[in-house]
Amino acid sequence: MDILGSFALLLAFVVAVYAFVAGIAGILTRRLLLARSALNAGMALFGLITAAAAALEYLFFTDNFSLTYVAEHSNRALPAFYKFAALWAGQEGSLLWWSWLLSAYAFFTLFLNRRKHPELMPYVGVVVAGVQIFFLTLNNFVANPFTILAARDAHGVLRLAALADGRGLTPLLQYPEMVIHPPMLYLGYTGFTIPFAFALGALLGRYPGEKWIHITRRWTMIAWCFQTVGILLGAHWAYAMLGWGGYWEWDPVENASLLPWITGTAFLHSVMMQEKRGMMKVWNVWLVFTTFMLCILGTLLTRSGIVNSVHAFAQSSIGGWFVGFLATVLVVCFLAYWRNRDYLRSENQLDSLASRESSFLFNNLILLAACFAVLWGTLFPVLSEWVVGSKVSVGAPFFDKVNVPIALFLLFLTGVGPLLAWRKTSLDALRRNFAWPLVGGVLAGILAFAFGFRHFYALVCLILSVFVVLTIVAEFVRGARVLAGREGSSLLTATGSLAMRNTRRYGGYVVHLGIVLIFIGISGQAFNKDVQSELNVGQRFYIGPYAILCQNLDSTANDNYQAQRATLEVFRNGKSEMMLYPERRFFPASGETETIVATRSSPLRDLYVVYAGTSPQDGNPVIHAYLNPLIKWIWFGGLVVVLGTLLALVPSRRPTIVPAPAREKVWGRAIGTPSGAAAVGAIEGGADAHD
Amino acid sequence: MTASLLAALALALPGLLAQETASSPRAKALSLRVKCMCGGCNDPAGACYHSGGTFSGPCEAALAMIKEINQRIARGESDDAILKDFVGEYGPTVLVEPPKSGFDLTAWVMPVLVPLVAFFVVWEVLRQWRRRAGRNPAPAPTVSPDMLARVRHESEKDEL
Repeated sequence: MDILGSFALLLAFVVAVYAFVAGIAGILTRRLLLARSALNAGMALFGLITAAAAALEYLFFTDNFSLTYVAEHSNRALPAFYKFAALWAGQEGSLLWWSWLLSAYAFFTLFLNRRKHPELMPYVGVVVAGVQIFFLTLNNFVANPFTILAARDAHGVLRLAALADGRGLTPLLQYPEMVIHPPMLYLGYTGFTIPFAFALGALLGRYPGEKWIHITRRWTMIAWCFQTVGILLGAHWAYAMLGWGGYWEWDPVENASLLPWITGTAFLHSVMMQEKRGMMKVWNVWLVFTTFMLCILGTLLTRSGIVNSVHAFAQSSIGGWFVGFLATVLVVCFLAYWRNRDYLRSENQLDSLASRESSFLFNNLILLAACFAVLWGTLFPVLSEWVVGSKVSVGAPFFDKVNVPIALFLLFLTGVGPLLAWRKTSLDALRRNFAWPLVGGVLAGILAFAFGFRHFYALVCLILSVFVVLTIVAEFVRGARVLAGREGSSLLTATGSLAMRNTRRYGGYVVHLGIVLIFIGISGQAFNKDVQSELNVGQRFYIGPYAILCQNLDSTANDNYQAQRATLEVFRNGKSEMMLYPERRFFPASGETETIVATRSSPLRDLYVVYAGTSPQDGNPVIHAYLNPLIKWIWFGGLVVVLGTLLALVPSRRPTIVPAPAREKVWGRAIGTPSGAAAVGAIEGGADAHD
Repeated sequence: MTASLLAALALALPGLLAQETASSPRAKALSLRVKCMCGGCNDPAGACYHSGGTFSGPCEAALAMIKEINQRIARGESDDAILKDFVGEYGPTVLVEPPKSGFDLTAWVMPVLVPLVAFFVVWEVLRQWRRRAGRNPAPAPTVSPDMLARVRHESEKDEL
């Protein structure tokens, strides 16, 4: 099976090179058949890389420890669930996983567009094949997951070897979320390759911006959604697994996942400027380029060991390859832009500073400021060492100080932007739209202050959150009232109908609502409490409104690990509320210990309990309890963000007017659409309501 | 059997360590400003939880640092003097934040300076756009109207 996997990978590399070369030849000679053949080759990659990934999975499930990768990341006692996830537990496998996901994205993109956009798709195919070649080069020649385990015998001759059992999967990865989190994050990383390929392809082919923007809008949203889910799952994993009571530590790998998410968010906003007003074309192209390059940088940081991280499970000297690839991408992007910059000229000018256009510009500015601050802080230790020769630490306090004000300003813009009209907003409209949300926000602030809420940033966050929520509610209510009046339906029905008529706009508002919930959850961090206490059976300690009584301490074991477990009874107001079972697990295969946190979660607060180990003084068990307010809002906000994105992905119900297309000769054959497809119905709600 | 012994050792090892906790809020605050220098984690000494370690609390290195902070506070030393000596011993990497001096000051300045410069650039661009919009209309698109119409029609129909 390892030979089959190796062969499939090697063949995939050859096919990728063919897709790249034949694609370029097809474009240069304008031969449609050659270009189509290249696109078909691009699709075939999916089958080949799937075969390689399936072969590796088979080797994991059959405990084939003659393979280095399997021996290092699995063992016989590892549950099947984790054997499956071990595919992306190390360097070689996760790079294969990158290639596979990219080939899947490429397959669906090329397949769904196989009869469309004949001028654009060959360029897209070439760009995707170029990226695929890079990863397949790594898979085949730098970090091959099918490397056979070999050892020298007594005579110094290299012979095939196999371990009786593997070294096991790192315990940190033996958690159900780790089966979902990396695929989600990688779906985000790889997904941004598609808008990148369309943007670069459109630029190289001097194709109208509207084209790639329209085609890739949904691909970008899908990648962005996966990235969002991946980041939140990662945060939840850190919260549930690492046992330090938090979920985000500004760790370099966490930061690396955030960077393309930020630029992707900026792109999803600024793209509306191009669609609505034909503006910011250069900006959008570079935002997509930057997002893709940050995805590669993220993979570089995760894999290279340039920066220290608890999340970097696979490190090696592969960094040079990524640096070379990043440099190549940058040069290609710059040359493509420089040669074709006249095609990115703006079609409109700004009419007023009090307009949605300028709010988008500032939104992008703040998002990129946040991106820069995170990138700067992440890479500063490396820079400092390079410049002055001594390494400095850039920890969470730095990122908090720098990013919290930026994030709060972004929250403010989240409320302001949708209230501004395209082109120009009158003073009267400004007053009308802002008055009630502003009053609501300030009132909430005064009330919170009166009740003893004194943390400055948390207070500002609360005021802004109420302001933004009220602007979103007002937007829904305003539109629903008009619709309810016109259709004679209830306000609730009209709200649903309104959302379905312009899914993108109202889906966007739901996403904003989710972001506000996440902000509220994060602000709860200002009021965290923790108590660490030695706790023998029958003893209790107190944290906030809870009393925690140790009922029992016992041990359990299975083939994979041995666990020490505390049985804790939680009391509130003298009444027993629930039992918690924090554990410490020792994994003999890897020789590592891990905590399994027990949590009592409610919308108001989480009681988070860690069995820390035995007391340094007397060997008594030590329990570390945390009281973390509002954490649940973060996970719930994430869910709302996903639901909003899904709503925005659903096509709107309203009919649109389309111009009669002209039939045009392209690459030796006529393309176009059936005649008579001119004006098709009226636009409900008006085109200007869009976004 | 070997595995059980390993497990017992792993779980009992912390008992061999001398416990030390921050003796005052000031000591706690100071212990959060220095990094645990065990080399196995990136946590502040006062919040060392040592993921994957044998004890999910301050490790030996963190405990020693907390102890030193407690002792020096008891001797009446200032925060700056204590931090300075830690830097002298371990280098600037012991601080959880970059120092606000020398080259490291740029770590603090750049995240403020760059957005400010970008803000003024955007402001200036907006002003120029407005001025230009008043003087002359936007340039004609560089793509033929026929092609634009066709592309827009295709895009409306085939978004995925």
